[in-house]
Amino acid sequence: MGVRRFWAFIEQELGQVHPVSWELLGVARRLASQVEDEARAMGDTVAVEGILLGHEVEPIAHEAIKYGADRVYLLDDPVFKHYRNCPYAAGITAIARKYQPEVFLIGATTLGRDLAGAVATALRTGLTADCTGLEMEEVKGSPKKLLLATRPAYGGNILATILCRNYQPQMSSVRPRVFPMPPYNPEAQGEIIREDISISEEEAKACILEFIHAKGESVNIEYADVIVAGGRGLGGPEGFKLLEELAKELGGVVGASRPCVDAGWISYAHQVGQTGKTVRPKLYIAAGISGALQHKVGMQNADFIIAINNDPKAPIFDVADVGIVGDLYQVIPEMIQQIRALKEAKA
Amino acid sequence: MTHHSTPAKQAIQFDVIVVGAGLAGSAAAMVAARKGLNVALVERGQKPGGKNYFGGAIYTHAIAEVLPDFMELNPPFERPVTEAGFWFLHPDGGMTRMTVRGGKLDRAPADAYTTLRARFDPWWAEQAQKAGALLVPKTTVVDFIRDSEGAVIGVQTDRPQGEMYAPVVIICEGVNNLLAQKLGLKDRDLEPAHVALGFKQVIFLPKELIQARFGLQNDQQGVAVSVLGDVSLGLPGMGFVYTNKDSISVGLGMMLDVLAEYRLKPYDILQRYLSHPAIAPLVEGGQLVEYGAHLIPEGGWRDMPRLYTAGALVAGDAAAMVNALHWEGTNMAIIAGKLAGETAIEAHSRGDFSAKTMSRYEDRLRQSFILQDLQQYRNFSRFLEQHPQFMDVYPRFLNDALGNFFTAYGKPKKQLFKDIYAALTQRRPLLKAAGDIIAMGRSVMGW
Amino acid sequence: MFHALVAIKQVPDTTNIRIDPVTGTLVREGVPAIMNPYDAHALAAAVEWKRKLGGKITVISMGPPAAITSLREAIEMGADRSILISDRKFGGADTLATSYTLAQVIQAIHAQDPIDVVFFGKQAIDGDTAQVGPGVAVRLGWPILTYTIGIRNIDLENRRLVAERKTERWVEIVEVPLPAALTCEKDIAPIPYAPLPDLLRSLRYQPEVWTTESGHCTFDPNQIGIKGSPTVVYKQGTPPLPTPGEKINAREIGTAEAVRHALDKAVASGVLKSILGGA
Repeated sequence: MGVRRFWAFIEQELGQVHPVSWELLGVARRLASQVEDEARAMGDTVAVEGILLGHEVEPIAHEAIKYGADRVYLLDDPVFKHYRNCPYAAGITAIARKYQPEVFLIGATTLGRDLAGAVATALRTGLTADCTGLEMEEVKGSPKKLLLATRPAYGGNILATILCRNYQPQMSSVRPRVFPMPPYNPEAQGEIIREDISISEEEAKACILEFIHAKGESVNIEYADVIVAGGRGLGGPEGFKLLEELAKELGGVVGASRPCVDAGWISYAHQVGQTGKTVRPKLYIAAGISGALQHKVGMQNADFIIAINNDPKAPIFDVADVGIVGDLYQVIPEMIQQIRALKEAKA
Repeated sequence: MTHHSTPAKQAIQFDVIVVGAGLAGSAAAMVAARKGLNVALVERGQKPGGKNYFGGAIYTHAIAEVLPDFMELNPPFERPVTEAGFWFLHPDGGMTRMTVRGGKLDRAPADAYTTLRARFDPWWAEQAQKAGALLVPKTTVVDFIRDSEGAVIGVQTDRPQGEMYAPVVIICEGVNNLLAQKLGLKDRDLEPAHVALGFKQVIFLPKELIQARFGLQNDQQGVAVSVLGDVSLGLPGMGFVYTNKDSISVGLGMMLDVLAEYRLKPYDILQRYLSHPAIAPLVEGGQLVEYGAHLIPEGGWRDMPRLYTAGALVAGDAAAMVNALHWEGTNMAIIAGKLAGETAIEAHSRGDFSAKTMSRYEDRLRQSFILQDLQQYRNFSRFLEQHPQFMDVYPRFLNDALGNFFTAYGKPKKQLFKDIYAALTQRRPLLKAAGDIIAMGRSVMGW
Repeated sequence: MFHALVAIKQVPDTTNIRIDPVTGTLVREGVPAIMNPYDAHALAAAVEWKRKLGGKITVISMGPPAAITSLREAIEMGADRSILISDRKFGGADTLATSYTLAQVIQAIHAQDPIDVVFFGKQAIDGDTAQVGPGVAVRLGWPILTYTIGIRNIDLENRRLVAERKTERWVEIVEVPLPAALTCEKDIAPIPYAPLPDLLRSLRYQPEVWTTESGHCTFDPNQIGIKGSPTVVYKQGTPPLPTPGEKINAREIGTAEAVRHALDKAVASGVLKSILGGA
């Protein structure tokens, strides 16, 4: 009786969990359920497990269980207090060798991308980065279902599906907001296993001398419910002031397509798209954005998309739920007014 | 301008520096390198030809003078020109064509091939490299290094530690001859009245469609025509149409001062030209691959800089070597480059780079068709502007005359010829017409 | 004397990619090949430090013969020696096999001529995985700093390097012992306009070529190329086209009416309700 383990890396910094970790638990649960029947037939069980490193972070392990982990492996030691490549990679590699997970998912954040390649190489296994699709499927020649990992390539012009056949664990990194948050069950029960790994400071190699936090407002558009985004059609940086007004009315944030960031109209933190952030807001309003593929891949999973563009042939209209062909400098003010009216009516 | 007595020890030293890897530059480099000289061919673009643009067609006599067996080297030509001539477009949508097809034009190799510069120039520069010249790309020459007597002994490029030394520098920098001006060979910058803007679209069409529309049997046949008449809103200008393998180059040339005075946008004029009923069906359904423009020096003889000074020579567009009526510029550039290369070889064999030795370049140019033609056509550049009747009156007369001729069935022919005569004299009194012939003779024949 | 090694990759310029509408595959012809921009900036940083400390730079690239042009460009940018690692047997390598091959080469060079810092670009613009740098570091057993935006100090005597890493939330100043590896952001150094002597040197330079049989370095045949690649491309295609929604022409029906219509749809979908709250 074997256990088929589906792992998610629980990323935390300074005691704060990156929500992508929960999204990954959701994916792990879905993948595990896709092989449940097959496992049973072979006399195996499946398990969704989290792996967490840090110092004094046990509460996070409990949260992981509430997001669906059957079990959490906890490496709690001062050497893991701040993320550093060497100790984290060494710790995870040791635990992975011990428990032999079948699938291992890591969030494609800066930390995750620093870590994933090192772990995959240490484990001598395959890693598919920035996956937008993950499924356990039957593959010819394999007795068990395998992980099919889909990712965009060549600037998003091609979707490639990657297979990692004879190596374990099958590893994938996933960008935040590509998959939805799993349900949260405050009553959920699970196991927390403290693993003893000793890594000396010398083995840790790196020494963090200082943290410099960004001055001014720190924007995180990834988890916003409403995004009002502007593109080249704005014609200049002042256009964003108008979008900011609309965003405020809706309790949302401002986003931007890449040309605006490249032109210096707005900072990179607002960039939506392949080389920016992937977002899944409830409402995405695209003003003056043509809708090139590299932008689309960053926002096409929004629940509801309104596009405004002067050009009826703009590709953004292909992905919008409703599109308005017109001048955004007339449409947006009108929209602000009508939203205000709607809010007053409710009040 | 930097003055040095002798170059420093680790100086970058060549026998010849050629500025610009265009048609003139690569020809000069090729010729000099073949004779064993150490040649640097300095090009500001990423690769040769990236900044060059023309109609157009290359005349093979010039290539043959530099590379006699050029056809064996697979030059990237488009189509041989097997039909050439003039089209006159009329405001009523009509067109008169006068072209020659086949016969002498069916020779192989052909006298002219339509060409795309982005493909041709790199090949041409490659021949210079094969001859041993060192192509130095992505580097711009910004000034000269001269000795205490003012002779050119090298160039200053825009790169750090960017000095290159050579006793002969051949300037083939193209129409914007800033370096020639820096040397004092020209005292003024380009004047809009002496510069034309050539602008065109390259339109992709399948080979077979081009062949069908132009009456060509295969891809070893091609058309090159000059288009006159109603091409540029009644203002002086000449159009052209060239068939490439699987695209058509259609465009216009107009003087820069005319464009400026009337505040015309080349793109708009081009659209109108393309919509003329004579042109539109040819480009119908095609895909626009490229739109671009380039300056053409048309000041001719009167606008040429001095062609040499101690240690330096000027060739090609930089020396305003263009015959606008005959669309000759590329062949002049190639031959002038060759002659400059030969002069450099001579100077090295003598060990003398003085102005006197450099003047041998001008001697060579005089013996060639280049200076002879430029002198003959010295009055042509303003001809169309000063004699607008050649743009509208005469083409329209031609249209009327021929139109009448071909629709006079059943009419008394005496009347027909009276009508034709009237069609001319109504527009242009006979005496004036005679004067026009003389004016044309002056301008074209150099009377 | 400082010895830096920079690993570069020649990639198609992805801003110029076209897909063949019939076959769904990449149109490769006419797409210019360039040095991966992140690698170019990494090399520029290495050159800056070579000029400060004195020393030399070795550039390596695993790729097809065409990659020679990028290796020459590396000399133009200030490298002293460049090596093409090319062999049919390396073909089809995924990131694991690639990191193995590069690590073998780096170890061979290091044995002859100790390396202080290995520079990588943060990711290649065609693969976008960012895995090779960390993979190589793990194999070498050297510390790695990714997303490096600046190097504050390289102390060859005390064998330490201090660099700035940019994460989503802050910038870290991190110190690592040498030898170390870095993956670099574009911010780390601007690409300089090469001095003429370097350009001329690059025009005449012939990079070395290392193959599985050239004797410079040994490679385990089971860890290179397809044999050494756990991941394979199972299938490939163009993304599916989404079904377009409704398009309203504000010029025809007026801005107010158009906005009203759009908001009605949003209300009907339930989205506005959940955003604005209320019934």
